[in-house]
Amino acid sequence: MASDSVPRRRIRKILIANRGEIAVRVLRACRELGIRSAVIYSEPDRLGLPVLLADEAYPIGPAPSRESYLRAEAIVDLAVRIGADAIHPGYGFLSERSEFSRLCRDAGVIFIGPSPEAIAAMGSKVESRRLMIDAGVPVVPGGKDPLPDLEAATAAAGQIGFPIMLKAAAGGGGKGMRMVPGPAELPGAYRAARSEAAASFGDDSVYIEKLIENPRHVEIQVMGDLHGRVVSLGERECSLQRRHQKVVEEAPSPVVTPELRRRMGEAAVKAAQAVGYSNAGTCEFLLTPNGEFYFLEMNTRLQVEHPVTELVTGIDLVIAQIRVAEGEPLGPEFDDVQPRGHAIEVRLYAEDPYQRFAPSPGRIEVLRWPQGPGVRNDAGVYEGSEVSIHYDPMLAKLIVWASDRERALDRLGRALAELRVEGIRTTVPLYKALLADPDFRAGNMDIGMLDRKLAAGELRPVQEEGDGLADLPLIAAALAHFERASHNISGPAPAGAGSRRSRWSLAGRREALRGGAWS
Amino acid sequence: MELIVRHGEREERVQVRRSGDGFEVTVGDRTYPVDALAAGRLIQSLRIDGAHHEVAVRAQGDGTYWVSTAYGAGPVEVTDPLTHLAAQAAGGRGGRKNQRMNAYMPGRVVAVLAEEGQTVTAGQGIVVLEAMKMENEIRAEHDGVLRHIFVQPGQSVDGGDPLFELE
Repeated sequence: MASDSVPRRRIRKILIANRGEIAVRVLRACRELGIRSAVIYSEPDRLGLPVLLADEAYPIGPAPSRESYLRAEAIVDLAVRIGADAIHPGYGFLSERSEFSRLCRDAGVIFIGPSPEAIAAMGSKVESRRLMIDAGVPVVPGGKDPLPDLEAATAAAGQIGFPIMLKAAAGGGGKGMRMVPGPAELPGAYRAARSEAAASFGDDSVYIEKLIENPRHVEIQVMGDLHGRVVSLGERECSLQRRHQKVVEEAPSPVVTPELRRRMGEAAVKAAQAVGYSNAGTCEFLLTPNGEFYFLEMNTRLQVEHPVTELVTGIDLVIAQIRVAEGEPLGPEFDDVQPRGHAIEVRLYAEDPYQRFAPSPGRIEVLRWPQGPGVRNDAGVYEGSEVSIHYDPMLAKLIVWASDRERALDRLGRALAELRVEGIRTTVPLYKALLADPDFRAGNMDIGMLDRKLAAGELRPVQEEGDGLADLPLIAAALAHFERASHNISGPAPAGAGSRRSRWSLAGRREALRGGAWS
Repeated sequence: MELIVRHGEREERVQVRRSGDGFEVTVGDRTYPVDALAAGRLIQSLRIDGAHHEVAVRAQGDGTYWVSTAYGAGPVEVTDPLTHLAAQAAGGRGGRKNQRMNAYMPGRVVAVLAEEGQTVTAGQGIVVLEAMKMENEIRAEHDGVLRHIFVQPGQSVDGGDPLFELE
């Protein structure tokens, strides 16, 4: 607590050890603070938006993450070589590797995040459960130890009873995580969880937990400084998930009362303090329909969904991360933070929601972001950029703010109507369908709701109303075909003869020349 | 110009005529005056009876157009009536006996869970495909015998590549 012993150190250059939208997010904070920014990029990311916006950019290797964005030592060496004072890890990749935080410390580079000790303590779900139990933070019943083989998994499952969850000890983001309804599904799920855990985290340990039925996912954003102070910045509701991957997040939660917010905030602060936490972090909780909550895990980094907290608190979390890393104490704006208004984020995935969420890589041919009041776009792509198959399919986030939830929903609908993405398929149609869903609109959700609705064939594309609209795709295709055919027969339209028509023809011809590049 | 246009389950006879600066399009027994203009690449601005619709149309070859509207996106097939008749006579569309399952995304084959000649049931996992760090089990859509498996573990596939064929 002796703040005088904490060294203050100005950060003048930050190396951003990430890609995509989060690298752009950190770049923005750097520029606003007058800090020089440097990014790393893999071969296919040479023309990524982060490179285009950064002050400096350095190649880090070929496409596979293991040979590029996960090269911890090479990245720290680079930081030293280019004179970066600090590294911002973003989320994913190296952000929750305690060795990486330690490498930075050993090299004299500030890691913008918690200490290696705090990451390690929270990083192992098994270890963090033990710590939370000791600190008096409520946790979900389950075995605490990694399961070495299928027999151990079977025995542990038998003890706590199905349904159960298998989880990667080093995991996050839904990878290496499997719900197992009964003994028959255990062998397959165990194999898949281990292999996914190995592929995603380089560690295939998994453990088991009792499945709490129909809970909400509500998480608390915390921020800690290097002087021992940790505060809660309120909750985010992240119950809308597909296969444990968040798709829509909002703040505040439609069901969290000020009293519950206070209690969950206190639990989160207690959890963070139990490991000597500093910088931004998130404690994830399961919230049951009757208001009990259980600590799930702590994400020791900035979260994808941090913007909704920023919009309702007015606090720039990335700037706060940088200031805290410089040794500044949390200022008065962190005293008793309460949400104002309502914010909703949807994640834009390059996936086709109506083709089993098949990834949809390719070139973004058209990209028009919504603008206007209360709309924020955090994107890692631009019109003309290439979506590669090598990385996570999340391209961008669309976030809206309004004075209350109902208005925020309406604003989201308006923003989605303005948004235009062509060339790849995205999850946008699903969000339009969700906005028409009475359960979502009413704020009735739990973490299984989206999967259940999808399995039941709900949330189909919002249907056209009336014959005129139903015929629209046919009219559009017939017109395009007509223009191409008449163009082939009659040659180019004479100059000056109806510039409107010839523009349509030209577009059609350009498309014809491209032909087949799509599918 | 008279066309046969297929969209999902629907198949309609569509007529397109120039009319002034625009078009007149008849779908079945409904006729629409259409004012069509390109608004940049791919995007078309269609005014139909004053109502405005923004659509994107991409030619995919073979008379197939990918059309995306405010309500969704999908392929629309356009043929002229003669070609359509010929295709029907040749039985081009009906009577698929073998069902071929293609990779619906580019990725890597992680595992093959069944063997050629094996009898499988609907929902049974046949091939495990990994893309964008997620594993996906590609399952048999109905009961049948596995005629061919086109892939091996470790192999990379493109979207549309055949994975297995079911009889």
